[in-house]
Amino acid sequence: MKTRSIIGSVLAAVVIFQSCTKEETAVAQVTLIEKIVKDIPADTIVSLSPIGQPIGAGKFTFYSLETNAVIPNTDSNSTKWDIGLRGSTIITNGGSSGPGKGGAFVYVGTFDELVKVPADSTFRIDAAPNYAISSKGWSLYTPQTNLLTPLPGRVLVFKTASGKYAKVEILNYYKGGVTPAATAPDNVKIFSQRYFTFKFAYQADGTTNFK
Amino acid sequence: MKSFLTYLFSTVLVIFSNGQLKEDSLFSQSLDNVVVTATRTPRLMGNVAIPVSVINAKTLYQSGSLRLNDILSEQTGINIVDNFGKGVQVQGLSAEYTLILVDGEPLIGRTGGVLDLSRISVRNIRKIEIVKGPSSSLYGSEAMGGVINIITDGSGINKSDLGLRYGRFNTLDGSFNFSRKIKKTDVTASVNYNRSAGYSLKPNQQQKTVEPFWKTVQQLSVNHQLSQKWKLGTGFRRNVTFIDNTIEVSNQGIAVLSKGFERNDEFNLTPYLQYKGNKIKTTLRSYITGFESEQLLSVKGSADTYNDRFDQLFSRIENQTDWQIREQSAFTFGAGHIEEKVASNRYDSLATKRKNAISYFFAQHEELLTRKLTAIGGFRFDANKAYASVWSPKMALQFKPNEKLSINFSYGRGFKAPDFRQLYLNFTNLAAGAYSVFGSEVAEAELQRLSALQQIDQVTGIMGGLAALKPEVSGGLNLGAKLKLKDGLQIGANLFRNDITNMIVTDIVAFKKNGGQIYSYFNLKSALTQGLELDLDKRISRTFTLKAGYQYLYTADKDVLTQIRKGEVFQRELSTGSSVRMKTADYAGLPLRSKHSANLKLSYETATGFFVTTRIFYRGRWGTFDQDGNGIINRSDEFAKSFLLVNASAGLNIRKHWKLMAGLDNLLNYKDVLNLPGTPGRVGYIDLQFNF
Repeated sequence: MKTRSIIGSVLAAVVIFQSCTKEETAVAQVTLIEKIVKDIPADTIVSLSPIGQPIGAGKFTFYSLETNAVIPNTDSNSTKWDIGLRGSTIITNGGSSGPGKGGAFVYVGTFDELVKVPADSTFRIDAAPNYAISSKGWSLYTPQTNLLTPLPGRVLVFKTASGKYAKVEILNYYKGGVTPAATAPDNVKIFSQRYFTFKFAYQADGTTNFK
Repeated sequence: MKSFLTYLFSTVLVIFSNGQLKEDSLFSQSLDNVVVTATRTPRLMGNVAIPVSVINAKTLYQSGSLRLNDILSEQTGINIVDNFGKGVQVQGLSAEYTLILVDGEPLIGRTGGVLDLSRISVRNIRKIEIVKGPSSSLYGSEAMGGVINIITDGSGINKSDLGLRYGRFNTLDGSFNFSRKIKKTDVTASVNYNRSAGYSLKPNQQQKTVEPFWKTVQQLSVNHQLSQKWKLGTGFRRNVTFIDNTIEVSNQGIAVLSKGFERNDEFNLTPYLQYKGNKIKTTLRSYITGFESEQLLSVKGSADTYNDRFDQLFSRIENQTDWQIREQSAFTFGAGHIEEKVASNRYDSLATKRKNAISYFFAQHEELLTRKLTAIGGFRFDANKAYASVWSPKMALQFKPNEKLSINFSYGRGFKAPDFRQLYLNFTNLAAGAYSVFGSEVAEAELQRLSALQQIDQVTGIMGGLAALKPEVSGGLNLGAKLKLKDGLQIGANLFRNDITNMIVTDIVAFKKNGGQIYSYFNLKSALTQGLELDLDKRISRTFTLKAGYQYLYTADKDVLTQIRKGEVFQRELSTGSSVRMKTADYAGLPLRSKHSANLKLSYETATGFFVTTRIFYRGRWGTFDQDGNGIINRSDEFAKSFLLVNASAGLNIRKHWKLMAGLDNLLNYKDVLNLPGTPGRVGYIDLQFNF
């Protein structure tokens, strides 16, 4: 797993730069963290059933948006993680899924357009098997090509385990962040799926601002 | 007996001297400069107010074409799309919206709406007439994008030939065509055998891109003049295709081979009786055609077999009467009845026969209003049991201000009836996500059955819309002009626009508990296609001719356009992976459509029959699959690359009876493994014909 900062966190960079040049006014603490996370495995395929259906180990991969790290499965019943990924199923740390204050909803628009969680938003709570985020809410599966594509213009807005706010845009569902060609062999499609690449912004100050 | 060449040469002369022909009468009896498809009555080519083009026997021969798709792919504004066989795209409308006729009768046996043109041999074709835009006012269902009429009837010609051709991939084609007038009887007979070893574009795979096949056509037509006014005749044709199939499926990384065959067997019978008086011509004809398709595959090393069977029977009885009221006024009317039957294990079992019956009538009036202005008006009404009835009107105007210029305008409505697949399909794919597709007539019962089995997880909102399918309807406008200049230059332009509504698409009606989707068919989509077609024909010298064509095409799903304008459609940028809102300029329209396509043909021909032709085709990029999840074509990686194809052929006459030809298709050896499976690279061939 690789994580890398993007230039998107210009603000942070500017602040660091400015503090280095010893600006006279103290700039407010920057609390918004923006990252792109690549290739998070989410119950990747271990074998195929006799009729050729892909099978994973069936376990969630837990992720902390606050610490930008994968959390071991042993901590599944803690508030250390914010989101869990298993195939195209996404859970939040709340409701039937975990002990935290988690919830989520799908915002239709672009990542950059969402500068603040709209006041009239309702965060849905996981109640298995109905999760706050349904896989149809953020992805499109095309049986003709056997490919799953994240829908463009969908931002997943999360309340983290500790009740802070974060926004996530899933960029890709395949290894290396590249969706196989529609004409690629089924085996390539099956074994390279369930690797999440996503962009997120986490607001540490507890406000609903993403700016 | 007139020699074939003199005949062809005189035809060319007639066409080029068309400006001098005085043809005010609407009835005309000449041969190759006459078209029948546009109005269902013989008309001089230049007197038709509807966009129509003709491919004559000489062009067919010189292009070295074997199958119908070969020659059609060389025409301006026509694209061949390889999807369930080789289908034709006319004015941006896909294969299911184009009617294919053989001697005026519709061919049946479509797969996924596509009629595979490679089923049809061109070796016995005398000419092909192509009418663009809707002609449902005369032909009923499927005549939305256009009508392609293949004319094989050789009545009135004493000409026979024996041909043999050999080409790359062990392609062998043998043909025999016989056409003779014996007293009052015209007999036309032809036999064709075509086979190929197929080819592979992807190496290291046991499954070939094109599997080995053989195809045969047998045809016989007899026309007998009973008396001066009465004529009787019948035609019989049988067409068999056999493909040796090897299908490779990957299971856990292991290639599983299935071997078997695919067989398509089609026949048709066309008896008729005709009366032709001074002012009245009336024809009573019957058409019976059957199509049987079978696929059998057995999995290697297992007892598993796969069997697919589809049987279709279409029979029709029709009367058409042409009444020449006055010299400048003609009226055509007719009525008919169609019975269709389909049985398939894709629907239920072979024992269940799905039936449909259509009754129709049509009328058309053509009037020379002044010496410069001709008007045509007509309509057809189709009534049936399984879906809503349709009116298809049409009107056309031709204005000829002088002998050089003619301006045509036409508007017509076309329709396509829901097909048996859209009504009765019952298909579940266990391998790819366990999805099911149910025809609109069976969907409700199937959903109830699955629901009783507790297999349904969630029903989508569209369920309320599960209703009887309506025919897909289009309105087509054509505005064209033709200009003939003295120095052998002809220029033609045609602007077209088709608005299609009630388009039938599949949509999800429910989700199964195992995650699979259930699809059915709905009248949901509206689309438009519009563009410009340009044609140029120039006789450079006695021996050189140049032809050029270009089509600009714009297509769109109207609902998508509306959504983009409202800012509701997003795309994912290729460079950053981020979503942005789309602009209408980013939208590339319907998939498989090229914005630009063009062709150029240069021919050299001497009076002794020696010829060389070079044909160049350009097809601009076209959309293939959505990659960024918005379901439409917009991003640069969602296109197939544009390409250039160059075909060349040369031939000569040897003594009186022999003709020898050699050709090389795809000189530049262009290949696109994924998007052009029908283009195997350079293909050379040699062709010998004996005429008697």
